[in-house]
Amino acid sequence: MTDPALILNVLLFLPLIASFVIPFVPEDKDARGVALFFSGAMVVFSLFLWSGFDPRIAGMQATTYINWISTPVKVDYHIGVDGLSLSLVLLTTIVTLLAVLASYSIEKRGKLYYSFLMLLTFSVIGVFVSCNLLQFFVLYELELVPMYFLIAIWGGPRRGYAAMKFLLYTFFGGVLMFAGLLYMYMQLMAMDPASATFDMTLLASYASKLPVNVQCLACLGFFLAFIIKLPSVPFHTWLPDAHVEAPTPISMMLAALLLKMGSYGLVRICMGFFPAFFAEYGPWILALGAINIVWGAMACLVQEDMKKIIAFSSVSHMGFILLAVGSLSNAAINGAIFQMLSHGLVSALLFFMVGTVYIRCHTRMLKEIGGGLANQMPILFYFWMVGTMANLGLPALSGFVGEVSVFYGAFTSPMALSASHGSWTRGWTYFACLGVLLTAGYMLWLLKRLFYGPEMEKWKGHLYDATRTERLVAASLSVMILAFGVYPMWLMSMYSKVGDRITHSVMEKIQISQKEKAETAKISLNK
Amino acid sequence: MLTPEFLKSCVENAWMIVALPFFAGFAIITSFLLTGPKLGAKRWFKTLAMCLSVGAVAVGFLHSLSILYALIMQPALSGYQQNFDWFVCENFKLSVGFLVDNLCASMLVVVTTISLLVQIYTHGYMREDPGYARFYSYLSLFTGSMLGLVVSTNLFEMYGFWELVGVCSYLLIGFWFYKNSAAAACLKAFVVNRVGDFGFLIGILLLYLATKDYWGGGTILAFLPQLGTTGADMASVLQMALQDHRLTPELAFLATSMPLIAILIFMGPMAKSAQAPLHIWLPDAMEGPTPISALIHAATMVAAGVYLVARAYPIFLAPDGSTNSIALSVVAAVGAFTAFMAATIALTQFDIKRVLAWSTCSQLGYMFVGLGVGAYGAGMFHLFTHAFFKAMLFLCSGAVIHGLHHEQDIRRMGGLWKPMNITGWCFLIGTASIAGWPLPPLSGFFSKDEIVSAAWHQSPLLGGILILTAGLTAFYMFRLFFLVFTGEYRGNTKAHEVPVVMWAPLVALAVPSCVAGFMLGFNKSSFFENTPAANPFGSFIYWAHPHQEVVDWTMVIASSTAGLIGVGIAYLMYYARTINFHKDIVEKQGPLYLFSLNKWYWDELYLGLVNKVFLPIFDKTWKTLDSIFVDQILVNGASIVTLATGEVLKYTQTGKGQYYALVIFFWVAVIAWLAFLTTT
Repeated sequence: MTDPALILNVLLFLPLIASFVIPFVPEDKDARGVALFFSGAMVVFSLFLWSGFDPRIAGMQATTYINWISTPVKVDYHIGVDGLSLSLVLLTTIVTLLAVLASYSIEKRGKLYYSFLMLLTFSVIGVFVSCNLLQFFVLYELELVPMYFLIAIWGGPRRGYAAMKFLLYTFFGGVLMFAGLLYMYMQLMAMDPASATFDMTLLASYASKLPVNVQCLACLGFFLAFIIKLPSVPFHTWLPDAHVEAPTPISMMLAALLLKMGSYGLVRICMGFFPAFFAEYGPWILALGAINIVWGAMACLVQEDMKKIIAFSSVSHMGFILLAVGSLSNAAINGAIFQMLSHGLVSALLFFMVGTVYIRCHTRMLKEIGGGLANQMPILFYFWMVGTMANLGLPALSGFVGEVSVFYGAFTSPMALSASHGSWTRGWTYFACLGVLLTAGYMLWLLKRLFYGPEMEKWKGHLYDATRTERLVAASLSVMILAFGVYPMWLMSMYSKVGDRITHSVMEKIQISQKEKAETAKISLNK
Repeated sequence: MLTPEFLKSCVENAWMIVALPFFAGFAIITSFLLTGPKLGAKRWFKTLAMCLSVGAVAVGFLHSLSILYALIMQPALSGYQQNFDWFVCENFKLSVGFLVDNLCASMLVVVTTISLLVQIYTHGYMREDPGYARFYSYLSLFTGSMLGLVVSTNLFEMYGFWELVGVCSYLLIGFWFYKNSAAAACLKAFVVNRVGDFGFLIGILLLYLATKDYWGGGTILAFLPQLGTTGADMASVLQMALQDHRLTPELAFLATSMPLIAILIFMGPMAKSAQAPLHIWLPDAMEGPTPISALIHAATMVAAGVYLVARAYPIFLAPDGSTNSIALSVVAAVGAFTAFMAATIALTQFDIKRVLAWSTCSQLGYMFVGLGVGAYGAGMFHLFTHAFFKAMLFLCSGAVIHGLHHEQDIRRMGGLWKPMNITGWCFLIGTASIAGWPLPPLSGFFSKDEIVSAAWHQSPLLGGILILTAGLTAFYMFRLFFLVFTGEYRGNTKAHEVPVVMWAPLVALAVPSCVAGFMLGFNKSSFFENTPAANPFGSFIYWAHPHQEVVDWTMVIASSTAGLIGVGIAYLMYYARTINFHKDIVEKQGPLYLFSLNKWYWDELYLGLVNKVFLPIFDKTWKTLDSIFVDQILVNGASIVTLATGEVLKYTQTGKGQYYALVIFFWVAVIAWLAFLTTT
């Protein structure tokens, strides 16, 4: 039990095994127990992995490398974790366990449901620990299958439309990513056959040697795939539909984990492999991030469906990650990673809370609920309050850390000081700060329309407060949100080396490209 | 007992003052969450919650007193701070910590004193309320956050606690969540404060952008240097940035200009301290229970804005360190405008708490004028005296409301002097103090008249507005007093005096309201000999040099006269009833009367903007872009095109061999033709 590589392998395959075992349990109602057992075991294994992890090393640890195909292209089974992966793996195992706990409302076809849920977990963990790009791609696409069925079978009334929309969008992104991947491989082949590889640890240094325009084109494929997943304006409309139709635990998984696959890809692949893309288009990405923040928040203010509000607020909060990667600043990238983890916890809590109200009132429409729920649901009201406050970035809760460090970082990034992009960068950051105001507006308004005011006649005596399971799920998330908000160093110390390394490589690239530009200018002058 | 070592360790462990209330608050909430709301109704749990909460702040009160004593005895201890890393990456570090200096120690004493008394009072006021334990937990969380704000070492940390006090205020305004008015008021309070914080945040970011290379290894955005070092503090860093032209001394839009940064940062205090045009939340915040109005919305949290300006004073000063700066002029102008506006509104209100709320707005305006014209000591001193007498006034109004079984309308009060004698006396002291009653001089007289003198000295316009406002203040406060405590009782219930647990805090607060001014705000030379001299309080808290001022007797006489005229009119109108303006003013509903009664129509303006302009615009844009353009045209459009293409193309799948051969032949011919074209 001490070999970290072995633990990582076990952790990766545990959910896969679970998804095969669960269909063979005798009764539907036993499936939940088995799923709980497996997801509990995953949490234990991930904690073991964490205990053996050395945060001082920036590179991959606990690696396993097995050659799988050698001709015509070399494809390996290659997994490992660094601080960034590990923190996301921990998030995955914890949220999965809580999502399984929150699945008490699933009544039909339990075996199939938990089997798909475990398959989904397998692909998410797989994406976070893959060190081979093809393997990464396959697992990234694999997630579509269980997710499609989870929405299409257990979803709400418009589940067919939502599942199909989700599938098409993500699949479209996958095609673009595959095109980028192949293009990159061909170009590496053309540049130097020895550097043509899918090994992500090597690509980080090889791919950045490609010419600038090649890097940009290759990165564009990946970038589009990831911002569809993130999701970013204008590719975000699948998310509210998918969330509204998905059952509560699946919404938790979708918001907390699946969106993180997009942001993880942005940091690990786009920034890690193709720094030139960010050197060229950083300001535009930053602007896109700012637009996301404000657009998502604005859309929230005019929704009538509480789940849509939380879904759009995810769009808004993932904008911070775009803002951060566009700004290329060390503080902002570290903040963005924090935001990923924090949003994972906060959105899971909020979607869970939406679910608790839904199973009591059987509606998500704020007008039909009509407020005053606090009267019969005081404890749920507290947890709602924690989620709301974390979402609007209250200090001492985790949402604040990500937001404030992204703002500080973006504002003081090298771009904010440069003569050419300075006012552009600052201007968009000001614009993004509006999100702080709008978020407070829509979250508190939501809370008011749900819990404050007098109760409607029809609810009198028909509602009940948090059950034991609900209290357990909500309290676990709240405690983590509070702990990481009060003392973010607990999380930061795990991944900050990775964040620093990635920013370094981008900054070096920018300096090199500026030097090259200056030199070519000199040469042309001399001529 | 009070050995030097003990005093030193008091200073070095100042964080405990902050930590204890937080601990108490969390302990109560957690036990409530773990066991369910039934626990909150149990008697033993109520007592436990009260003891935890009051105990934490009582310890904090003694600790604060020892710190103040320590700083008086050993001035070298002032400026002690400790910082801890909070967010660290390669070239960026945010820290949190605690700082103890004279300004902060005085503020600690004020906050813990009032908090302690209010928490004791709460036991009487909220005894029947089912949310008793919950109320104590919020109170504790608020006290912790407020004390954290006071001991913050840097601007970033202060922003954090700033938001935390805001959320505690939100929770407490919305304490009776089943009331629609409370629900609307707490939402409004938070959102308006966020508007201010938006500017505050951008101000901090701009400040950091301009100064980020000058903090060295020290805490970024720190107010004061670490004891024994120089460099990493606001004043010196700003000087360095100015010398390197990273910071411009002129006002410029969207640039690292010092006045712009100061004004943006001042947006935070404008919202928190309810200055126009961000004042609209404070009167509505009176929907919360009265102890909250006393603690948060009169004495402590709303004064945090003034404290922030005082703490971050170097940003507001002119580059040469003088107080003749653009930023301070803005502070003074906003303060004077608010002081006057709020006083005119208070003239016509009928809710006892709202009159007091508007007077709080107005008095906070005085403090900002004080800071804005460079009378640093006077502005802060007014904060302190005001905290005592205004908290007392609010607690008195709470006692009245309690004694009349939740009646707040002064038209249904009157004649309470007899049945509520203790409350009446305390209320009279508070009223006289806020009105600047000259003989015998109560605390408000000293602090207010210092500000008026300084303002007149800076600009006669400012001084004139303040003198006029002093008259208005005296009028509406005595109107309140006469309507509530004299004349015939106009209500239905039987009034009774409040229990001792409620009147004892009133009496305790009456003492500083009477004597604080004479003890701390009085200096013989500046008052009688016309020589610049500092009063004990001003020179204690001012960080840079002995703070000196001259009290201008003409001004003192002018503002006292204005006050006496105000009292006189109020006496004639509401006590002796020799003048009956009621018929002429109230029943006529003249435009000026309506303007004042409707609070200058600010609410209508803002609500109109939000409901009639912003939300419809958001709605239209969102619907057009997201639902119609992206979803209908692009997404569903693409699917329709795909379907339609499939519909058309399906007819090509005939299954006839000769047809397929024809198609193949056709395309071969086309390709051959293209190849022919390109080769020739």
